[in-house]
Amino acid sequence: MHTLHRISHGLEKAITVIGKGAMWVAIPLMLVIVFDVVTRKFFAQSMGMISSKLQDLEWHLNGIIIMVLMSYGYLADTHVRIELIRDRLSTQARAWIEVAGILVLMVPFCLLMIYFGYDFAERSFLQQEQSAAMTGLGQRWMIKAIIPIGFALALLATFSLMLKCVLFLIDPAGDPAAARRYLGNTAAKRAAEPEG
Amino acid sequence: MFEGVYIEDYLPAFMFLAVLLLMFTGLPVAWVVGGVGIAFGFIGFALDVFSPVEFFSIVTRIYGETISNPVLVAITMFILMGVMLEKSGIAEDLLRTMQIVLRRVPGGLALAVTIVGTVMAASTGVIGASVVMLTILALPVMLKQRYDRALATGTIAASGTLGILIPPSIMLVLVANLLAVSVGDLFMAAVIPGLALSGLYLAYIAIRCALQPSLAPPLDSAEGPSDFGSLMLLLVKSFVPPTTLIMLVLGSIFAGWATPTEASGVGAFGAFVLAAAHGRLSVSLTREVLKDAMLTSAMVFFIFIGATALSYVFRSLGGDELVVDLIDSLGLGAWGILIMIMAIMFVLGFFLDWIQITLIIVPVFAPVIELLDFGTHIAQADIMVWFGILVSVNLQASFLTPPLGFALFILKGSAPPEVTIQDVYRGIVPFVLLQLLGVALVLALPEMALWLPRVVFN
Repeated sequence: MHTLHRISHGLEKAITVIGKGAMWVAIPLMLVIVFDVVTRKFFAQSMGMISSKLQDLEWHLNGIIIMVLMSYGYLADTHVRIELIRDRLSTQARAWIEVAGILVLMVPFCLLMIYFGYDFAERSFLQQEQSAAMTGLGQRWMIKAIIPIGFALALLATFSLMLKCVLFLIDPAGDPAAARRYLGNTAAKRAAEPEG
Repeated sequence: MFEGVYIEDYLPAFMFLAVLLLMFTGLPVAWVVGGVGIAFGFIGFALDVFSPVEFFSIVTRIYGETISNPVLVAITMFILMGVMLEKSGIAEDLLRTMQIVLRRVPGGLALAVTIVGTVMAASTGVIGASVVMLTILALPVMLKQRYDRALATGTIAASGTLGILIPPSIMLVLVANLLAVSVGDLFMAAVIPGLALSGLYLAYIAIRCALQPSLAPPLDSAEGPSDFGSLMLLLVKSFVPPTTLIMLVLGSIFAGWATPTEASGVGAFGAFVLAAAHGRLSVSLTREVLKDAMLTSAMVFFIFIGATALSYVFRSLGGDELVVDLIDSLGLGAWGILIMIMAIMFVLGFFLDWIQITLIIVPVFAPVIELLDFGTHIAQADIMVWFGILVSVNLQASFLTPPLGFALFILKGSAPPEVTIQDVYRGIVPFVLLQLLGVALVLALPEMALWLPRVVFN
């Protein structure tokens, strides 16, 4: 039991660290846009050769942010939920629903996207696919690989949360803080919100 | 008994039903939307109408339509700009100033909320942030002043929601993308309807408070500076900087000088500069802003990704034809169809929020709308922009209509306990009616949306 708690916490910790790192990518993204605009509008950047690379870089960075933060968002519980009914259910019922939802809706989605996403990135790698506009960024397989990577992280996040739910259902008193944070109603969750 | 009726012909209808029902389990919406798409792919496979290889196409679409779409980068950056303006206290200063400036006017606090909602609207396009900010900052002051609770909460919910309509708004970026019209056109087209809605709110508040002064007792004149000079100084210090930033962002898009993505990145940078100028920029503020903004952005994009899976399977199973057949069988004219679609969106707004309505409904109806003929009322080429604005104004109501109005939840969540959900429900009724009036105005006068883009771009 103790080990399972530790696995769940360990996964959560890892995803949180990765997520908190990925959110800083927004700063280079912002600066790349500013740099591109300034050099192109004010210094007539030569032939837009760098510009199309920079513009490719912009959506590459954005892709990294959104795909990586999908998993952290689930654990930080920032994904929109409709809590009208959920708030009135018992904690047990909430845990059962979450486990069922993870198994029926989330796991198949993640697994398919990892499987076909890997295929998608692999094809790109084998064909040595380059940018559509010849001047853009090459090595397209790298950004395509963010799809299976993002969904793999999401799968780990669902696994971490599912472990918490199952452990709670077996022993409701086992980890009350985690239960409040993940399975509480809106009010309990807000009260148990971790800092930072 | 049911000769000729096959279950597989109606799978798309069941899909839609499944999404609506599962939404109420309280599972994350993005998971429900994507998961239902995948599940119906398997059901379709079992019934021999869907091939598993098609799942590969979902990945291709997630990459092609969401990840590698350069326009959508603007969503991340506009959210960053809005969250920075809000968390650094710039929005708060703006609200305080407007309250002081308008303190002697009947309903002054409510008017201040609407004006700040309109200005900040322009920066966030994520209603959560503006509603929370207005609730936390303005509601306690209004209650202390013995404002009518329904009026106070209705004003906050409606004004906070304007953010999604007044450009630059992430909703308009998304709608433009789905309707294949230019983001600049749609931004421009939304200006007059957005300001008109804001004007309707202001007029309603001013008239109502003039008729019933007990609803909104004026502030004590002693609060804030009394000489005109320092009043103006206050205005220049806290009103001008954010307004200028927003004007610059919008102006550069409208002038065709910058794409929305470029303007959004520079706008976010501008918000950092303003925060620094106020001496508030720090590593911990940046961390907090990034966490809020990037998780919001990831949440929005995750719903896009889920909706990509859903709409791919929906179409593959013949959902489009089902909808078109259904509309044909009703035998409505162009106006009938348009008004029906508007009514469907309004009703769905009771259960879904704008992202789901936009992502699920707009792609299904867009091909139908494109072929409609409104004669001399509107030129064929302008229909999509007009429709985009109608959708956007209509969606305003989806935030305010119970049981699932997000603005209502957010407001109730951050309001003092003496405010009941009944107060909130009573408060939004007049504003929802004004929003419907807004839809009717844009329906009757397409020029409200089309005039500005034509004048500016020609």
